[in-house]
Amino acid sequence: MATAPAPGTPTTTPPSPSAPGVHPRPFWSFQPKSDRESGDAIVSNFALHWFPAKVFKPSLDWNYSFWLGTISAALFLLLIVSGLPLLFLYVPSVERAYGSVKDIEWVVTFGSWIRSVHRLSAHLMVAVVCLHLVRVFFTGAYKNGVGRGQHREWNWVMGVAMLLLTLFLSFTGYLLPWDQLAYWAVTVGTNIAASIPYVGPQIRELLIGGRNIDQPALIRFYVAHVILLPGLLGAAFAYHMWRVRKDGGLARVDRVATLREKAAEEPGAAKTYTLLGVARGTAPTIRAASLEARDLTVNSMPDLVRRAAVAVLGTFAVISVAASLIRSPLEEPANPLVTPNPAKAPWYFLWLQEIVTDTTFTVGGFTVNGAFLGGVILPGIILLVLTAWPWLDRSPAEAAGVWFHKTRSRQNFGFLLFVLFVLLLTIVGTFLRGPSWELFWPWEAWPELPTRI
Amino acid sequence: MTEQKPDRRDFLVKLGTGAGVVGIGTQAAASLRSLLPNVSYDAPTTVKLGKTADFPDGLKFLPEQRLFVFREGKVFHAVSAVCTHLGCTVRAEALSQPETVTVGDAPMRLTHRFSCPCHGSKYTGDGKVVSGPAPKPLAWYHLSVSPDDGQLVADLAREVGRDFRLTLA
Repeated sequence: MATAPAPGTPTTTPPSPSAPGVHPRPFWSFQPKSDRESGDAIVSNFALHWFPAKVFKPSLDWNYSFWLGTISAALFLLLIVSGLPLLFLYVPSVERAYGSVKDIEWVVTFGSWIRSVHRLSAHLMVAVVCLHLVRVFFTGAYKNGVGRGQHREWNWVMGVAMLLLTLFLSFTGYLLPWDQLAYWAVTVGTNIAASIPYVGPQIRELLIGGRNIDQPALIRFYVAHVILLPGLLGAAFAYHMWRVRKDGGLARVDRVATLREKAAEEPGAAKTYTLLGVARGTAPTIRAASLEARDLTVNSMPDLVRRAAVAVLGTFAVISVAASLIRSPLEEPANPLVTPNPAKAPWYFLWLQEIVTDTTFTVGGFTVNGAFLGGVILPGIILLVLTAWPWLDRSPAEAAGVWFHKTRSRQNFGFLLFVLFVLLLTIVGTFLRGPSWELFWPWEAWPELPTRI
Repeated sequence: MTEQKPDRRDFLVKLGTGAGVVGIGTQAAASLRSLLPNVSYDAPTTVKLGKTADFPDGLKFLPEQRLFVFREGKVFHAVSAVCTHLGCTVRAEALSQPETVTVGDAPMRLTHRFSCPCHGSKYTGDGKVVSGPAPKPLAWYHLSVSPDDGQLVADLAREVGRDFRLTLA
């Protein structure tokens, strides 16, 4: 890392090229001649105008953020794009849904590839969004640094909501084929809602539009999947990005600023950390020392844009290739008469399936259903604690934007335990549960069971 | 300007805001209410299950109704196949050694036990929970004989106690 300018050195006239932050790059055709040209390339470009004109180089490091948020956004975009052709091909009717998905898989030209792109993106998005949350926790990136008007904690809350939306999108998505997986997932999922005392059955009736799972249930989940949830997630995404800008960028910016501030004897003038002179009201401000740290500031065009393009296009490429190699499964048509044995949820819900299995208990003749305790209360507590964590975290501002800061080691350890616990339950559900949800080692053969009663 | 009482402008602003809130609220409520069905197209809960003579001694599984009908000579009873935990259909497994237990003050020969494929709840042949997350025993439903054609009729909206037996004349 470059050193801060010595105290007393006039920071306004650094010995730098005429266009600081502009450096020639091999293999990169766009080389702005000046800061102005570079800034214009961002601001006058519709697709890029929501980027800042300049960024802190350490914020771009692969090993700080792993670009997980960008990859999630790329996957969301890919899901919208691959969902469009599927919208033309899928029929949301209990009689025809299964047949239309079968047609997409076997009859439509490139249909199975498009479906696979959609499905793989969805699975990967759940994983990447979870990893993004884990990254933000371990780097303390929900913490505010030195900027004025920062509210990174709101963005953390927004992120938790977006994780929930992602999970609801996956849930509503995998039941659209109306195969056995779908039917029994709706059965179990809506019965979890029904296990809430007093209002549960009414909530279930509202969710599935009746008492039995039939056409009204399918059309409700379909509308939620194609309009309601993506719309909410899109709006939430826009706010998420807007907040990142309002908070002055990634939390790592503040880390650099805090260190510089400590190094500098003179506090120096505060300067508004927005660019092109457009600064209003509560825009965050950063110590001048950090803003003038030209050695760490680069133009977004090309440095940020190139990296973002690598992350986004790389995601597209990986999914496209993987989708041509991996086919999407389709179980037997939905059959209300036969529950598959074992009936397993997708991998990201298996830890919940484990929890609802193990949490029924009886106290003095009064039994609490595991569906309510494990399916509603425990996830609710987890969500509440996650949401409230920025207010429970008492570590100092220096802990913002740094991996495993020493003042946060206890909470990081606790969070790690929680993550490992969820992973452990997921592994048990995936590999160790067999017929009748009994435990089997992977090398043990499952008993032969009659398919009919 | 000095402090003034709310003038016409203030009043109109409040009136307009209030009207807007009430209007949007009513529209939202109307939209949500439309999602609550007024008519149920669900399958009827009172169902004819077939002639009593078609039921063998022992157990018959009726997948459409998710119901096990047990017969012991002239005595019938029906146990739900819907797991009380999260609503999957339980499976019947024949016992190698049928056992006789007292169920509702009367002896009953149990030939099967039930297990749920979703979360592993296990029940005895009369529906009592043995293990797993199920919070309640399997429901027993009311059985009767239809006076018009002599078919067995189950009332899936009418749970009965475990002493319920339908004895044919």
